[in-house]
Formats: sequence, C-alpha cells, structure tokens
Amino acid sequence: MSSPQISGQRLGGRRLGGQRLGGQRLWPVHVVLAIGAAAMIAPFFWQLLTSLQSPAQATSVPPDFVPGWRWSNYSEVFTSMPFLRQFLNTVLITVVRVAAQLLFCSMAAYAFARLRFPGRNTIFVLLLAVLMVPSQVYLLPQYQILMHLGLLNTLTGIVLPGLFSAFGTFMLRQFFLSLPLDVEEAARLDGAGPVRIFWSVMLPLARPGLISLGVLTVLWSWNDLLWPLVVANDANQMPLSVGLATLQGEHSTDYPVLMAGSLLASLPMILLFIMAQRRITEGIAFTGSK
Amino acid sequence: MGSKITRTVPALLCAAVLVAAASGCSSAGAGSGSDANGPVTLTYGIWDPNQKPAMQQIAHAFEKLHPNITVDVELTPNADYWTKLQTEAASGTAPDVFWMSTTRIGLYAGQGQLLPLSDESGFDNKPFPASLNSIYTVGGKQYGMPKDFDTIGLWYNKKLFDAAGVKYPTASWTWQDVIDASQKLTSPAKGVWGIASPDWTQENLYNDIYQAGGNVISADKKSAGFGDAKTLAGLQYALDFITKYKTSPTAQQMTDTDPSQLFASGKVAMFTDGDWDTLTYKNAPGLDADVAPLPAGPAGRATVINGLANVIYAKTPHAAAAWQFVKFLGSEQANRIQAASGAVIPAYQGLSDGWVKAVPQFHLQTFVDELKYAVPYPVSANSGPWITDNQALLDQIWGGKLSLSAGAQQLTSTMNADLAKG
Repeated sequence: MSSPQISGQRLGGRRLGGQRLGGQRLWPVHVVLAIGAAAMIAPFFWQLLTSLQSPAQATSVPPDFVPGWRWSNYSEVFTSMPFLRQFLNTVLITVVRVAAQLLFCSMAAYAFARLRFPGRNTIFVLLLAVLMVPSQVYLLPQYQILMHLGLLNTLTGIVLPGLFSAFGTFMLRQFFLSLPLDVEEAARLDGAGPVRIFWSVMLPLARPGLISLGVLTVLWSWNDLLWPLVVANDANQMPLSVGLATLQGEHSTDYPVLMAGSLLASLPMILLFIMAQRRITEGIAFTGSK
Repeated sequence: MGSKITRTVPALLCAAVLVAAASGCSSAGAGSGSDANGPVTLTYGIWDPNQKPAMQQIAHAFEKLHPNITVDVELTPNADYWTKLQTEAASGTAPDVFWMSTTRIGLYAGQGQLLPLSDESGFDNKPFPASLNSIYTVGGKQYGMPKDFDTIGLWYNKKLFDAAGVKYPTASWTWQDVIDASQKLTSPAKGVWGIASPDWTQENLYNDIYQAGGNVISADKKSAGFGDAKTLAGLQYALDFITKYKTSPTAQQMTDTDPSQLFASGKVAMFTDGDWDTLTYKNAPGLDADVAPLPAGPAGRATVINGLANVIYAKTPHAAAAWQFVKFLGSEQANRIQAASGAVIPAYQGLSDGWVKAVPQFHLQTFVDELKYAVPYPVSANSGPWITDNQALLDQIWGGKLSLSAGAQQLTSTMNADLAKG
C-alpha cells in the first residue's frame, strides 16, 4: 500500500524539475485523451444546446448549433409534469433501495462468505441463477404478487422488489472472502458473537465494497424505467424516469422540453459523480461492471 | 429452528403493515360493483401527451353530466404502452377504458379482453367512416368506438416547386406526374431531392399497393397479398424513386434522418405523409408547404385510413359506467372538443371543420375528402408478428440487400406462416 505514495512523490519531483520535457513527451496522450473527453461531453453539450432551442430548430437538417436561449423550455418542464413531486419520488425510492440493499445484501453476503450452514452452496447457486434471468421475465409474476398485496400504483410497490439484489450479495460475498480471517478470529477470541463480528469488525472493513454497491445502486435506481412504469399509473406516484418518458409523443415530441427535463433530472447524478468520482471509478474497477 | 421463526414473524408483520398502508391508496370503489348511483372512478388509459389536454377536457365534460362518476386520465409513455397494457391485461388490472389501435384490436378482442360495444343499448356507429367501423369489428361484433382517423396526403414544398418551375400537384395527378416532377425537382447541386420514398408502410407503400390494385392481405385475412403482380407494381413504383430515377434519398440516408425532418428542412420537395405532421410542418421555420391528394395509380386513387378507438376492458368492475363514458367519447360533443384541439381529425363525420380551419394555410380538407376512396388499414386477428416480419424484409429490400422479386417471395411465405399461427 505504500508504493503508490512513493511513485507519486517521484512523479511530483520530476514534474517540478522538468515540466516542459514531461509536457512534450505526453502531448500525444493528451490529444488522445482530449478527443475521448470531447466525445464523452458532446452529447451533454448537445443536450444543453437543444434544451435552449425551439422545437423546429432542434429537429432541423442540417443540425442548427445556434442556441436559442429559450429558457421557457425549463419552466415548461414544471408545467407539463409534476417535476418536483416526481423528483422527490425518485430520491425517496433511491434512498430506500440503497439503504436496504446495503443492509440486506451485506448480511446475506457475510453469511454466504463466512457462516457454515447446511445447504449453503445450493442456496448460493440458486441465488446466482437469479442473475442469469433477464428482469423482463419476472416482470409479470412480480407484478401479480404486488397486485395481490394491493401495492400497485404505490411507491412501496415500486421500491419493494429493489430492496435486495442477487448481484449485490454476490459482489459483497466476493469482497468478504478477500478479507483476512485473522481479524475475525481475533474478535472471536475476544468473545464477540457472529452478529458483533459482522457489525463491528467486518462491515467497517467492507466499506469500499459497500460504497461501490451504493454507487451502482444509486445509478441503477435513478434510471430504472420499466418496473416503475408498469407499476405506477398516477403521475404523482411516478419517478422522474417515467415522468420524462411520458413527454414523448406519438407523432411529435417537444425535444427541447424533454432535453431540459432530462438535464435537470441528471444534474444530481452529475453532481454525485463529481463529488465521488474516485469512489465510483474504484467501484467500477472493483466489480468489473457498471 | 427458533431463529427461523423469530425472523419470519417480523417479516410477516412488515408485509401486513405495508398492505394496510397501501390499501388506503389503491383505486377507489374496487369491487363495489357497477351500481349507477354509487360514486365510481373510471380509469382511462391513453398514450399521447399532445392529446392529454383534450382528453382531460372531455373527461370533465362527462363528469358534469354524470356527477357520480370521476374519470382519471392515465398517460403511459407511448413506447411502453403495450408492454404495460399486456401486463395489466394478464393480471386483470387494465384501465376500465383505454385507447386501442387497429394493429392490436384483433388480438385483444380475440382473447376476450374487450367488451363488445355493439351489444350495448344505444350503440350507434353511423357517424363514423364505415372503413373504421369495419377494422374494429371482430367476429361480427364491434369492439371499438372510433376516436379519430388519419389519411395520407401528398405534401409538397411550394418554394422548391416555384424554383424548379414545376406546377403544384393537383387532384388529377397520376404516378407519372409524380415521377416527372420528382425528376425536375431533384438538384444534387442544391442538395434537394424531388421526393422521399422510405419503406414506411402506412405513409407510403400501402397506398401505392392499393393504387396499383394490389393487396396486402386477402379479404378473408388468411393469406398474404405479396404474390400478386399488382402488389409488386405498387412496391416497384415506390422503390424506383431510389434505384431507377434516383430522385429520393437512399434508405440509409432516411434512416439517418427522418424523411419528415428532411421535408420540414426544405431538403425534399414531396413527401407522402399523414395529417398528424400538420403542426410540425406549420411550425417549421422557412417552410412554405401545402398538401394535395395522393396521385392515381393504374387502378385509380386510394389512401389507407387508420385511426384509434376507445374500448372497454372486459374485466372492468364498472361496465355500466364505462359504457356511459365510451358512448360519450363517441358523441358529437366529445368529438367537437377533439376537433378544436387541432391534434387529430375526429372520427365523427362532419365535425372536421374545426380541425381543417385550425391551419388555414394548408388545404387540410384534402385529408377529409380522401375518405371517398379510403381503404381500411390492413390487419388480421394477430397483426403484430407479420407487421414486424414484413418490415424487416422491406428494410432489406430498401437497403439493396434483397431484390424485390426474391423479397416478395419471402414476404409471402413469412406472412402466410405468421397468419397460419393466428
């Protein structure tokens, strides 16, 4: 764990000594990275541009890159859908899902990683099997379960199936397996039971894994469309993802308003990314997926 | 074992609390029967946000006449409307009244998901075009109350016609006139195409097929019409604009940019398109356009007519109230509200004036006059599979990967196979 620090110091030293030399050697890399960055930012830039144009401008051929400064598109977002209500719904759904997944997945993951009980491997294989099934397949059975519970068209119904995930359990199990056994043994010798060991010893050690799972769950939950769309009928029970989708017309769509709404909806995610950039990169590198 | 029970009990309690909390929010009056006197809440499923204001206005007008009934208009995103409806219909929770399309009526009526309206007292389909009534009639019973209709017209760009010195299209134009004009209007130097001829069925190919005297599907709806030489003549006419005369953008170019956007931006001089793009063309900056009837083919004039209908869910607990609402949706009053909104042509004949006058610079009456020779949009008991398969093959033909003659054979065999499955 100490080597990156040393190489960092070395890099810093060289930068101090020969900044120009380094810059010259690195310019091809910078060009490539700049092109990559531009390609990533371009869609957001275009979205911003479109959100300030008139509908006719937005669909003209060839594309019109002159901003129209139609700020009214943004106010129209609030009149064409209950934006604030749906924003709160999205936040609520996301917070509950993240908290529940961190709790339930880590408990299940710890059990699969460390506790010995009959049928553990069989159950784990069954759990993994869930990962192989595309979510569209269990759309109908899940819907009917919620129907019998009387939870259709409620936020509870939207949140419920996302409180636990096989993926999160699998991911955290792998993380727990990578932690040294010695710490646990020491705690056990000190007289701690499984619950105490899990809560006070293992969970703090698993922080990087928990953060990764949290970030991935936030992203997934924020963008989740099909399930809430099928469950919610009332605009006031919909999250933003569904509310924005209802702005798409059959024959014509007001793209500037849709882009303005989407931009507002993605702002929290962009802010989250800027604030937790390193954690997110680590999380994706750790899980090998996003 | 003890620990299992202690884990299960709180879980059950949680579930019970959730159920209790939620039942307060679930739809009111469920299971209270269709008592005409008790308060009833109907749900009305639609998919177009542009028409939501008009639908809400109609619902309010209905609520005034029936104070004991409330109508909740539920807007589902267009792209996922059918996914959601399918899930709901399989679970018994579809809206009481909802929008239906010509392509799905066979499936939903055939599976007993809809109430036959023609069995209800006071049902009257005379105000609506016979071609629309026929599409929504399955097994001798009518299941849909026609809501609106659309036909196809020949949209043209006046500025480009003037610049090329070509006379505007008239009601006497034939295929040859369109071909001649498209050649005169095409100017590679200016980046202008004479016409856009994509492999879109409703806007383009179906009309050409019927103008040629061909058929998409047999009268008994059991076999494909692509073995008919006249059907092929219609497809050939549309394809020739790209391959023979080179007066239309290629399939690739029209995939990259929607032909209606090319037309709105003055890159295409003629485009056969539905009345639904009226507002798009009206609002396009610098576009001076108008619309003429579709040209006559070897077999004369023809346009496809399509339109939505309002249907009642078979498992609605409020069948009587739902019928009252659907009857109102088919009334003159409701259709006048639709006409005034300018979004669609109301299905109620004789009420299109409000819609026609909404955009006076276009001859919108064209779309209404075309009813005289309108052909019902071709459908069968289960149209979805063959529509998807046909479009995939047409994409290959238009993309130059498959010849028209070989493609026609495949269209015939796959469509017949799909139809045989029912």
